Amino acid sequence: MKRFSIIVSVIILVYITTSCTKVVNINLNSSNPKLIIESGISDQAGSCRVQLSKSVNYNESNVFPPVSGANITIADNLGNTITLSETSAGIYTAPLFQGVAGRTYTLTVNAEGKSYTAISTMPFPVTIDTLVQDSASSGGFIGGGGGKKHIFVWALFRDPTGINNYYRFVEEINHRINPNIYIMDDELRDGTLITRRISERDSTLKAGDSVHISLESIDKNVFTYYDMVDQLSGGGFGGQSATPANPTSNFDNGAFGYFSAYAVKTKLIVIR
Amino acid sequence: MIKNKLILFFLLFAGLSSLTAMGQKKFTISGYVKDAKTGEELIGATIIIKEIASTGTSTNAYGFYSITIPEGKYTVTSQFIGYQSKSETINLIQNSKIDFTLEEKASNLKEVVVSSERKDDNVTATQMGMDKINIKEIENIPVIFGEKDVLKTLQLTPGIKSAGEGNSGFYVRGGTADQNLILLDEATVYNASHLLGFFSVFNSDAIKDVMFYKGTQPAEFGGRLSSVLDIKMQDGNDKKYGVEGGIGIISSRLKVEGPIVKNKGSFTISGRRTYADLFLKLSKDTSLNKSRLYFYDINAKANYEINGNNKIFLSGYFGRDVLGFGSRFGIDWGNATATLRWNHLFSEKIFSNTSIIFSNYNYKIHLEFSTTKAQIISRLQDWNLKQDYQYYINSKNKVKFGFNSIYHKVIPGVVTRESDSTIRQLNLSNKFAWENALYVSHEIKIGKPFSIEYGVRLSSFSAMGPGDFYTYDASGNITDTAKYTKWRFVKTFFNLEPRLTMNYILGEKSSLKAAYSRNVQNLHLLSNSTTDNPTDMWIPSSNNVKPEIADQVSLGYFRNFKDNMFEFSTEVYYKYLQNQIDYKDGAQTTLNENVESQLLFGKGRAYGVEVFFKKKYGKITGWVGYTLSRTEKKIAGVNGGNYYPAKQDRTHDVSIVCMYQISKKWNVSATWVYYTGNAVTFPSGKYQVAGQVVNYYTERNGYRMLAYHRLDIGATWQIKKNAKSEQSLNISCYNAYGRENAYSITFQQDPNDPTKTQAVQTTLFRWVPSITYNFKF
Repeated sequence: MKRFSIIVSVIILVYITTSCTKVVNINLNSSNPKLIIESGISDQAGSCRVQLSKSVNYNESNVFPPVSGANITIADNLGNTITLSETSAGIYTAPLFQGVAGRTYTLTVNAEGKSYTAISTMPFPVTIDTLVQDSASSGGFIGGGGGKKHIFVWALFRDPTGINNYYRFVEEINHRINPNIYIMDDELRDGTLITRRISERDSTLKAGDSVHISLESIDKNVFTYYDMVDQLSGGGFGGQSATPANPTSNFDNGAFGYFSAYAVKTKLIVIR
Repeated sequence: MIKNKLILFFLLFAGLSSLTAMGQKKFTISGYVKDAKTGEELIGATIIIKEIASTGTSTNAYGFYSITIPEGKYTVTSQFIGYQSKSETINLIQNSKIDFTLEEKASNLKEVVVSSERKDDNVTATQMGMDKINIKEIENIPVIFGEKDVLKTLQLTPGIKSAGEGNSGFYVRGGTADQNLILLDEATVYNASHLLGFFSVFNSDAIKDVMFYKGTQPAEFGGRLSSVLDIKMQDGNDKKYGVEGGIGIISSRLKVEGPIVKNKGSFTISGRRTYADLFLKLSKDTSLNKSRLYFYDINAKANYEINGNNKIFLSGYFGRDVLGFGSRFGIDWGNATATLRWNHLFSEKIFSNTSIIFSNYNYKIHLEFSTTKAQIISRLQDWNLKQDYQYYINSKNKVKFGFNSIYHKVIPGVVTRESDSTIRQLNLSNKFAWENALYVSHEIKIGKPFSIEYGVRLSSFSAMGPGDFYTYDASGNITDTAKYTKWRFVKTFFNLEPRLTMNYILGEKSSLKAAYSRNVQNLHLLSNSTTDNPTDMWIPSSNNVKPEIADQVSLGYFRNFKDNMFEFSTEVYYKYLQNQIDYKDGAQTTLNENVESQLLFGKGRAYGVEVFFKKKYGKITGWVGYTLSRTEKKIAGVNGGNYYPAKQDRTHDVSIVCMYQISKKWNVSATWVYYTGNAVTFPSGKYQVAGQVVNYYTERNGYRMLAYHRLDIGATWQIKKNAKSEQSLNISCYNAYGRENAYSITFQQDPNDPTKTQAVQTTLFRWVPSITYNFKF
C-alpha cells in the first residue's frame, strides 16, 4: 500500500522511455564504523541469536567486521535472565533459552565500552493453514520476460480478529534461505482469510524442490524496521525517496539493527 | 493590529491618489483593443497619447483600457507586438469610447523593418521579476516530441528551473514545485503535467496569453510563495469559422472556433490526444499490447457580449492521463476546471470582473491480484468566488481591489479492497478549508521617471470540520484526538501580505527597480521522492501545519541597446522562508492518516542573481540566461539543525536560445541548457542486516547529481502561408548530442560480484527526434 506512488512512476517510466543504465563512479565520503546489532528470540528452542558487526565505507567490499568480546544478556518480564556466549566471531547464542509468546524481552549488549538496550514483545503465533503452488507466465506486471513459466508458492492463513498483526515470511528452498524480505500487516484484512504469494515473480522453483515457509508473528517496531530496510535495499528505478534514511532501530544509544521477539509456525510443500 | 494597519494604508493611499487629481477639466477615453481578423481581445496592448509625452496605459486581461486626460485634441495610438499600430484623432470634450482593431503583420520577417512600436516595455513597466510569453514567439523553439509548450519555454528563462527530465514541476527562485500558483482562466491547476512532465497540460493552440511573476506578485494574486503563472485561454474567432491542428509522431491536436453571433460572441474548442499506446497494440509482446498509455485534454470557451458594458465568458478544461496494464493495474488522473466570468463596466473608469471558478484534481488507481481487487481514489476540489475591480483614476493613478473566497475539499484517499467476497474500505479523513482574501493595490506615476505599485493582501485560512484533528508528540504518536462537526472552525490563520515595486527610469534606455513582498501559502504538496508523482498529496494548513511564509526583496537593473534591439537585465533576490516543510527520516507520506506526524518544520533561505540578455528582432533572435543561486533549509532534527541545501538547490543554471530566420520559408533554432545537479542524499557507508546489504546515510542532501546539459535543435518549414490557410512542418531533435544525463543514481549490489556494490545511473533520453505537421484554414 505504501509504495503505490513508486510503483506508479516505475511503470510509467518503463513504458514511455527507452532508458538506459550504466555504472558510474561516484566519489563518496567515508563514514565512521557503526555498530550493527541483529538479534532475535522466538518460541522455538535454540533460536536465541545475536550478531554484532560494523559498517564499512561504501566503496569497500561487502566484508563486515564482526565485533567480538561483547557481554550480552537477555531478560524477560518475569525476571528470567540469561547471558549469551560467543560461539563464533561476532555471533552470540543461548541454546537452552526458549521464548514464550506474550512475554516482553529486554536485550542488553555491552560492546566496546558502551551499552545498548532494546525491548520487544513476542506476539502469539499464527498457523499457516495450507501452502499451495501456482504458476504463471512472466511479464504479467512489468513487461518483458517472453512468457517463461514460473512456479510460485502461496500461503493461506486466518488472521486473528481484533488485534493488529504484523507478519514476516521466510522462504527456505532446499534448506537455503531466500534473503528477500516478505512482510505484511493486517490493515484492511483484519480477521480475514489471507492468501499471500511468497515467491518472487522470477522464481526459479522446479518440481521436486522442498520449500519451507515460516510465518513469523512480529511486533510493530520490528515490522517498521524490516519495511524500511526493504524500501532501502529495494532501491528502485524511479520514485526513490528524497529523504532516504537509516531505518529506525529499536536499540537505544545509536546502534543500528533490531531485536525481534517473534513467534513462528512453519509448513513444508514439495513442488510437483 | 491588522485593522489599524489597514486604516493607515487606506489613508496613505487616499493621500497619494489625490496628489495628482487637481487641475483642469478631464475626460476619459476607454475601450477595447482587438485583433481585426479574429475579434480576440489583445492583452497588454499599449495606448499612447502622442501629445502628452510619457502618458500611456495598457489593456488589462480582458483587453480593456481606460485613460483620463485633460480636454483637448489628441492622437491616440494603440500598439501590440506583431501587429500594425493604429491611430485615431479625437477632440476630447466628453468621455469617449474608442475601440481599436489591429491587423496582424503579414510575416514575422517584416518585423525587421517595422520598428516604430514601443519595445522598451521592460524598462518602463513598474513590475519586475515578470515574464510575458508570446505564443507566436515560442513556435520555433525546439521541444521534446515536437509539442510547443509554454512551461518548457518558461524554463529557459533565468530564475525558472526545470525540475529535471521526467519531472513535472519547475522551481522558481529556490521555491519548490508546489509553491507555484498555476492559473488557467483564473482556475487553479493542481497538476500541470501530462505523462509525468513530458508535456504540460496547456495546449498552446488554446492559449492567448501567459504572464509569469517570479518576483513580487501583484496583490490580486496569493496563496503560493514563489510564483504565479497566469494563463488566459483564447476566446475564439467571432468573425468566421476556422480549423487548425497538428499531426505529430505521438500526438495530434485539433481546434475549431467560430462566431456564435457575429461580432458579439464566439466559441472555441481544442483537443489533443497522444497515441503512443496505439503502437503498443501492434506489438506481439503480450505484456505490451495490453497496455494503455495516453492522455487527452480539451479546452473550451465561449463568450458573449450582452452590450457595451457587459460581457460573459464561460471556459473549461478537462484533461486525463490514462495508464494501465490489462485488468491488473490501472491509474488515471487529471484536472478539470470551469470558469464563469462576468465583465462589467460601472463607468468608463471602473472595470469589474466577477468569476465563479471550479477546480478539481483527482486520481484513481485500480489493482487486481488473483482474487483481490483494490481501488484507491483521491481528490482535491475548489469552489471559488472572485471579485476584482480596476479603477482608472487618471493617467497617473490606477487602483485595483477585490476579494476572493475559496472552499477547499481534500479527499486524501479512499481505499476499497475486495477479496473473497468481502469488501473493506479504508477512508483517510477528508479535509475542509475556507480561504479568504481582500486586496487593494495602487499604481502611481510620480513625475516622469518614478513609478510605484504598492498594495496589500489580507488573507485568512480556516481549517474546518467535519473530521478528527490529531495532536502529536515529538515522536509522532497521537496524544489527543479532537472531533469537529461540519462547518466548525478548527484553526484560522490571518496574514497581512504587503507588496511593493518601484521603478526609477535612468535616462531613456535604462531603469532601476526594487521590490519587496510577503506571500503566504496554505496548501502544501507532500512529495517525499526524487520524482513527482500524480499521487503526491496536497494538505491544507491545520492545527499541526502552519502557513508557509516567504519574504522576498529584489533589486533589478534593466537596459536596452540599439533602438531596443537588445535587452539586458539583471536581478538579485533574497528570500527568507518560514514554516517550510521537510520530512522525517523515512517518512511515509502516501495513504497515511497521520501524515502530519511525518513532517518537520523549519526555516529556509534562497538568494541569487539572474542575468538575461536578449536580442529581440532581426534575422537572428534569442537570448542567454544565467542564474547563480543558493537555496537552503534549516530544520530541527535534520543535519544537526544546520542549514543544508534544499533538493532544488542549483548553483549554476544556463540557457541559450537561438532562432534564425533563414528565409520566408525556413527557420531553424537551437537551445542549450546546463545546470548543476540537484542536491541528493547518497550513502557514505553500508552494513548488513536481515540478509541485505543496507546503505548507511550520514547527511541529508550532502551530495550532488551530475551536472545536466543538453542541446535541442529544430527546423520549421513554412510550406504555405496566406490569408486563407497555413501549413508548416516542424522537425526537431531533443538532446542532439546524446548526452547521458542522470535521471537517477541508485546504489546496488554488483551483479557480477556479490561482494561489491556499485552506483548505477539511469538515463531517460538520448536523441529524441520528432516531426509535426501543422495546419490552419
